[in-house]
Amino acid sequence: MNTNTSESSKNIIHSYLTFKLGDEFFAVSVNNVLNILEMTKITKVPQAPAYMKGVINLRGSVLPLVDTRIKFGMTETEYTSNTCILVLEIPMEKDTVKVGALVDSVQEVVELQEDTIQPPPSIGSRYKSSYIDGMAKVMDEFVMILNVASIFSGEDVINIQEVTDQIKQAAQ
Amino acid sequence: MDKLIVKFIEEASEHIQIIEQNMLLLEKDPENTGYIEIIFRSMHTLKGAGSMFGFENISEITHDLENVYDEIRAQKRTLSRELFDITLSAVDHIKELIKFGNKIPEEIANNQVFLVQRIRAMISENVHEKNKLFISGESEPKEEALKNAGTYYISFKPFDNIFDNGTNPLYLIDELVNLGSSIVIPYLNNVPDITTIDPFVCYTYWEIFLATESDISIIHDVFLFVEDLCTLDIHKISDNNLLKEKKFVRKIDKLRHTGHDIGINEVQILANEFKDSVSQKVKKAMNSTYAQVSKDYSISSIRVSSEKLDQLMNLVSELVTTQARLNLYAQQNNSNELTTITETTQKLSRQLRDLTFEIALVPIDTLVTRFQRLVRDLSKELGKDVIFETQGTETELDKTIIENLTDPLMHIIRNCLDHGIESSKTRQELGKPEYGKIIMNAFHSSTNVHIEIIDDGAGLNNEKIRRKAINHGLITEDTVLSERQLHDLIFQPGFSTAEIVTDVSGRGVGMDVVKQKIAGIRGQISVESEKNKGTKITLIIPLTLSIIDGLLVKVENTNYIIPLSAIEKIYAIQHQQLKKSFNNQIVLDGKRIPYFSLRHEFQCSEMNADGIEQVILIEYEKQKVGLVVDLVIGEYQAVLKPIGKHYKDQEIISAATILGDGTVALVMDTSKIITHFNAHFLKSEVKI
Repeated sequence: MNTNTSESSKNIIHSYLTFKLGDEFFAVSVNNVLNILEMTKITKVPQAPAYMKGVINLRGSVLPLVDTRIKFGMTETEYTSNTCILVLEIPMEKDTVKVGALVDSVQEVVELQEDTIQPPPSIGSRYKSSYIDGMAKVMDEFVMILNVASIFSGEDVINIQEVTDQIKQAAQ
Repeated sequence: MDKLIVKFIEEASEHIQIIEQNMLLLEKDPENTGYIEIIFRSMHTLKGAGSMFGFENISEITHDLENVYDEIRAQKRTLSRELFDITLSAVDHIKELIKFGNKIPEEIANNQVFLVQRIRAMISENVHEKNKLFISGESEPKEEALKNAGTYYISFKPFDNIFDNGTNPLYLIDELVNLGSSIVIPYLNNVPDITTIDPFVCYTYWEIFLATESDISIIHDVFLFVEDLCTLDIHKISDNNLLKEKKFVRKIDKLRHTGHDIGINEVQILANEFKDSVSQKVKKAMNSTYAQVSKDYSISSIRVSSEKLDQLMNLVSELVTTQARLNLYAQQNNSNELTTITETTQKLSRQLRDLTFEIALVPIDTLVTRFQRLVRDLSKELGKDVIFETQGTETELDKTIIENLTDPLMHIIRNCLDHGIESSKTRQELGKPEYGKIIMNAFHSSTNVHIEIIDDGAGLNNEKIRRKAINHGLITEDTVLSERQLHDLIFQPGFSTAEIVTDVSGRGVGMDVVKQKIAGIRGQISVESEKNKGTKITLIIPLTLSIIDGLLVKVENTNYIIPLSAIEKIYAIQHQQLKKSFNNQIVLDGKRIPYFSLRHEFQCSEMNADGIEQVILIEYEKQKVGLVVDLVIGEYQAVLKPIGKHYKDQEIISAATILGDGTVALVMDTSKIITHFNAHFLKSEVKI
């Protein structure tokens, strides 16, 4: 009985939405994603950090928008027909807030068994690894599963390249 | 049934508030019987409703209290300090009772017994005093006491031989007159010529109109010994005091001059005429006395749940947004009819918006009772004598703002009491009036409401603040600060200068929390203080939180809203002219005015050299400042939407709004913009 439960807990299937930033693949739990929007007109907010792209109209309410590439220490997003906005719901200062994340392209929703997800290896500092929930291999590609709550509620610019490189190294 | 109980609790809370409020007013103005009347009425309602809904303990307590106030009302008992204390603690107790409903903790149940005992003790204590009052009050019934009086008509015609057994009819009439107020008409038409007069015969007869609270039997008793010696006719003609009616008195006066007696038939007709008008008048009179005491007591109003009000507000907000889309569509489709309809609906939605806002406005008054109570209780506890005065509390604010103001104001007043006002002894030594004073002053100023809390206490202690700030590492030993900057330090987190942490303040929540809360409703707080003179804390609060009238402007590609209330004037100016200007000042209407170019400040690209810009003149701290924008689009009703926590550091933008075409415009906080750029400007100047 006991072994059965631990077996089944390993077989729990989670759904993730995968997307691309440059050549890297990332995934977020579908629980955090409210919807996916096409690019729309962005109103720039003056004197905000560079990664805060502006605000958009989300069905009558105002949604702050993060340029995920800048947030991850990459170059600014160039708008293409594939550019999308992920509307994420994250906890922030005791509330749940909505935030939009600009990504280069959205891939697909994948279902991953819990035991196929590798927990993040302890790398460098714990602070960095808190941004990554785990890692999985989907169609021969390494996909970083992001902890959106800790990424999008903070004010830091994260050098994601460094983080992913370290994780990949540690995994190999 | 549950619904009814909720309603009862709502209503009871209101009555409790009324009682509390009027108790405090009464304490200041014990002569005003109107307050007692209101207190009595509220208690009575509370008692009735309490027992109806099974709150037996509420009705028990209010029943006893009601008795006391009934006696006071009838002037059989005087107000005492003890009574105030008991009533207020009873009110607190009732609040608890309502809170706990059926499951009352033992502690509170005990309190009930104790309170009832105290009240009963007070009732019995005063019994002899009551008797004494009765005796002294007997001889002259007061005019006011005749509220429940009925009017009687008495025709008294003594027989000729009434003098024979030594009766003096005048004594009887005297006795009658003492029962209430009266008109006595003597008739002398039977008195014969002086030559034929018989001094042992009574020729005179009387008609008397008497307004009295006494029963008809008492009137009969007056004539007990002469009943066989006269024709006596006693009729009750009205349940009201007709003698208060000037018209009635005048009519009587007219009739008596006809020479013969009026007679009961005539009188009855007359009385009937007044029947209706009197009762109406009495009602009106009663209403007006209440109206004097408490302006909003008898205003006809209905109860609406605040939830519905919020819904209404949201709907209106959405309507305004939709209206903006309609306006845009009408502009793009050049149809006369469409334009007319759009303009009409625009007008209607604006009116609807204004009305909805007004509905949600609540006078600051609603807070005052709580503060008065706080000051009263706290000053007692701290052994300080403090008077709390309020001015302009009829000023109205949005109810959500009021809700958010309670705690900060409470804290400020507590601070005044604890740190501000000195003990009576110290005050005497300083030659200040024995009573400390805290004034709460509220008034409108453009689209803001100012609330000032002024005390005449010790003022802020600059030395102490400095030392504390150094200890906390906020400043260093050699930091030079102006007095104002020093005072502003009290809004820093973790700052409490009271050396002894009392129960009252210094609970760890400091002025920084107050500041945060005020900032949460887009308000500002500042402090002014002078040693030994006192401290003044000013809150500046916006009138509403959700919709403002604004001016839609464009800077580069972004739309901004500037609150219309902040704007003085708009000028068009050539970009060239600005480029040539010196030291960020331009000359407008012959005056030098400092300006900030928003393109420049927002790090946008430079404008074409031959372009035309617009300068929006804004009043800022009694000074005029220009903000330069590309283009003024027009007036716009902006439904404010929060821009989210991610932008919490962008103070210069207070909110966002959605335009008719679905894009987002940002709402500027002009005073923050100017403070921000000013600081920036000064810094860059220093660098050079």
